[in-house]
Amino acid sequence: MDVTLGLLDHIPAGDDGGGGGGGGGVPSGGSTTNRSILTVSKEDNKNTMVMSSEVTSGESLDGLELGLGLSIGGGGGGGGGLKSKMVANGGGGGWSQYARILTAKDFHTSLVSKPNSCSSSSSVNIPNSSTSGTKRTATDSVSPPNGTSVVGWPPVSKAHRMPTLANQIKSATENFVSKPEQNKSKNQTIGIKDYSDERNGLSNKKYRSVKVNMDGTLIGRKVDLNAHTSYEMLAQTLHEMFFSRWSSTEAVKPSRLLDGTSEFVLTYEDKDGDCMLVGDVPWEMFLSSVKRLRIMKNSDSNELAPRFQETNDSV
Amino acid sequence: MLQVFEARLFELVTGEIGSELVAGRIVMAISFREEVLEHSWYAIEWWCQRRIFIGNCYVVSLAMKIRRFPEVRSVELKWKPHFADFNLVPDGWGGYFYPWICEMARVYPLLEEIKLKRMVVTDECLELISKSFKNFKVLVLSSCEGFSTDGLAAIAANCRHCCMLFASWNLRELDLRESEVEDLSGHWLSHFPDSCTSLQSLNMSCLASEVNFSALQRLIARSPNLKTLRLNRAVPLEKLSTLLHRAPQLVELGTGAYSAEIRPNVYSNLAEAFSRCKELMGLSGFWDVVPSYLPAIYSVCSRLTSLNLSYATIQSPDVTKIVTQCPNLQSLSVLDYIEDAGLHALSLSCKDLRELRVFPSDPFVADANVSLTEQGLVAVSEGCLKLQSVLYFCRQMSNAALTTIAKNRPNLNCFRLCILEPRAPDYLTLEPLDNGFGAIVDHCKQLQRLSLSGLLTDLVFEYIGNRAKKLEMLSIAFAGDSDMGLHHVLSGCDSLRKLEIRDCPFGDKALLDNVSKLETMRSLWMSSCSVSLGACKRLSQKMPRLNVEVIDEQGDLDSRSDNSPVEKLYVYRTVAGPRLDMPSFIRNMDQNPTCRRYSLEKLFSE
Repeated sequence: MDVTLGLLDHIPAGDDGGGGGGGGGVPSGGSTTNRSILTVSKEDNKNTMVMSSEVTSGESLDGLELGLGLSIGGGGGGGGGLKSKMVANGGGGGWSQYARILTAKDFHTSLVSKPNSCSSSSSVNIPNSSTSGTKRTATDSVSPPNGTSVVGWPPVSKAHRMPTLANQIKSATENFVSKPEQNKSKNQTIGIKDYSDERNGLSNKKYRSVKVNMDGTLIGRKVDLNAHTSYEMLAQTLHEMFFSRWSSTEAVKPSRLLDGTSEFVLTYEDKDGDCMLVGDVPWEMFLSSVKRLRIMKNSDSNELAPRFQETNDSV
Repeated sequence: MLQVFEARLFELVTGEIGSELVAGRIVMAISFREEVLEHSWYAIEWWCQRRIFIGNCYVVSLAMKIRRFPEVRSVELKWKPHFADFNLVPDGWGGYFYPWICEMARVYPLLEEIKLKRMVVTDECLELISKSFKNFKVLVLSSCEGFSTDGLAAIAANCRHCCMLFASWNLRELDLRESEVEDLSGHWLSHFPDSCTSLQSLNMSCLASEVNFSALQRLIARSPNLKTLRLNRAVPLEKLSTLLHRAPQLVELGTGAYSAEIRPNVYSNLAEAFSRCKELMGLSGFWDVVPSYLPAIYSVCSRLTSLNLSYATIQSPDVTKIVTQCPNLQSLSVLDYIEDAGLHALSLSCKDLRELRVFPSDPFVADANVSLTEQGLVAVSEGCLKLQSVLYFCRQMSNAALTTIAKNRPNLNCFRLCILEPRAPDYLTLEPLDNGFGAIVDHCKQLQRLSLSGLLTDLVFEYIGNRAKKLEMLSIAFAGDSDMGLHHVLSGCDSLRKLEIRDCPFGDKALLDNVSKLETMRSLWMSSCSVSLGACKRLSQKMPRLNVEVIDEQGDLDSRSDNSPVEKLYVYRTVAGPRLDMPSFIRNMDQNPTCRRYSLEKLFSE
């Protein structure tokens, strides 16, 4: 699960300048024009449940330290006597024993030293004492400690998040899949749906499927890359998917998809959007950069990145 | 007894009463004789055995559904919990449409409509839909995901296939509202064949990439019945007039990006095109607004009943200028840029307003970037006598304001207030907002939906339990002190169907003391509360007709102690037993799933 906060950095052009409230939200690290995507997950920490937040976009840790999320403290309504008994006495145990999403309230009186960062391995401890009513005054301006973002709050659905940011995304051809590895400031993408592999510790990523399209076929297919260990295996799978009807035609043996001798050639789009020939780089490197696959007719493949052509004919 | 049965058990919508249908009911009544008064949990509605609505898809197993209603024309399925809209439901949770469409393709040849909400729909599903039903007319995918524009191309293209075999292929409606679509290219639209002339409604506003404009233009030109057209952002403003000229009969229009260089001819073309749309009653879209172009819509304002400016980042004077020209406005969605001043003007001009939704322009910043407070809502509650439905995001609220609103508008049936800061107290008195919300439920006796926010103690739940007797859906976040809060709600709200809770100190006792209530509800969601794993197990044991699902992404559910708290809990009634498509991080607490098939299922399989 993820939450998008989008506070950090785009705001300089925006209208409120308070990108991230509190202590001013100009990120120090690499330009993080993507919306920061935080997830809140639990770390197993014996009895004390601890919430940690992870960076799921490709931003640097520094970039997230400031102005994170919901500087929800100190604004609006001011503080003062919170009469609510925040510690639940009933219902099976102290409130503080249980994990919960942090809110700015928890950090009003605590955390003199900020947690380091919102890196994927750091965690933010919930100090047990902070759950009781905390006085807040109108003059409190709480600079939001890291990791206090609350998942899914405020409850604004995806369509309505960050209209101010949306104004800056003029390019209508951006696609909805976020590219978290891109740290270029030019390519702003709204990471609404994060398909990043960097979500450590969250749902088991048992599969990683990419779309495969073949020229002349309307409907693409999906192939699970993690189920393959080599290019040959992948070619075999694709052959079964797309060419099984052609059975044992010499023209399209699986191996020929890879060596450029068949009518079709296997290409992929990498994370930079470039169209590359499959097979040029080591398998692991390919795995980390492939975004989608395309089986092209050989005549179309002239625009590809140059490749070392084998002169022998392997049949 | 049959009446009790109908009223409480089955949420039936009575339609044609053929003997078969009556017989069906009577048979069911007999099976349920012992249980009629205790368990009112079956949540299927059907009408003439032709329309199926399933509010929570896991209530019944597929086989049961399919066999029973072969005449089905229309299927509407909802799936994921509402909180999925806010990223609280992890990916992989479930809700896959594929098994359903496989079965439907086999046995519902006459299917005409499919409406899905919050489901995972793949391109293969769409392809199957496009090829399986010769009379297929309406596809609505609301907040769905998992498909790409390739799938849409299949829907569009298979008109061609069907046209060869049958006389008329009538895609009437394709509506993708707020779905997440993998946008591979805009070419899908070009796959609508020339023979497709039946389109009445097309909503592609959620798509990002540019569609082929001339294909779009031709499609619109040959669709004389087109009433609803919601373009996506990529359709440029300069071209909008061209489209409008071909569809002056439109009733609802969603523009694309509403910006262009300031050029007089573009403006005058646009204004003239709008003025020819004499039927236009609803407007939306308005991304990237350049205010100079706004007056182009003035000619239609007097007719507008529905206006959605929730993407329009225009300042208060511009918004106000528009809304004050819409005296017939019934539904308005707008950003908080409208400010209190704009809402005040609205309250004076739009006396027919029924629904108001104000979204936050900068939800993640504590300091107000706009001058919108509780006063705006108070003004609207005073001036708009027909106001029934409110969704309002703001940064401050007071008990006094809430009480005023309640007294002004006792006819409210939906009140959703989101004060951006969790646990924000009454900003004037610094007290909890219990009394304010108490006034809401006290005066608004028809209230069906309520969302709470701000600082709230158990007292507000006591008020709700005592007074909100018509309340069907309640959303709670960061509220309450103890289990008593939850107990009040579960024991008091007679009509409650959906309850969703996050970050509240509600725990085991309230749940276990109210187990039978849960069977009368459609679903319960609790996340980041104080419910223990052991309690979930006990709940499941006590109530075998509930699916008690524990979601925990940490991944070691099996080894956790019963005392450990659960991350997220989703409970819903079902006759189908545990669902089969749970990912590894979800567990059903049922210890004996095989014993859970009831006579109802046997009945359906006959």
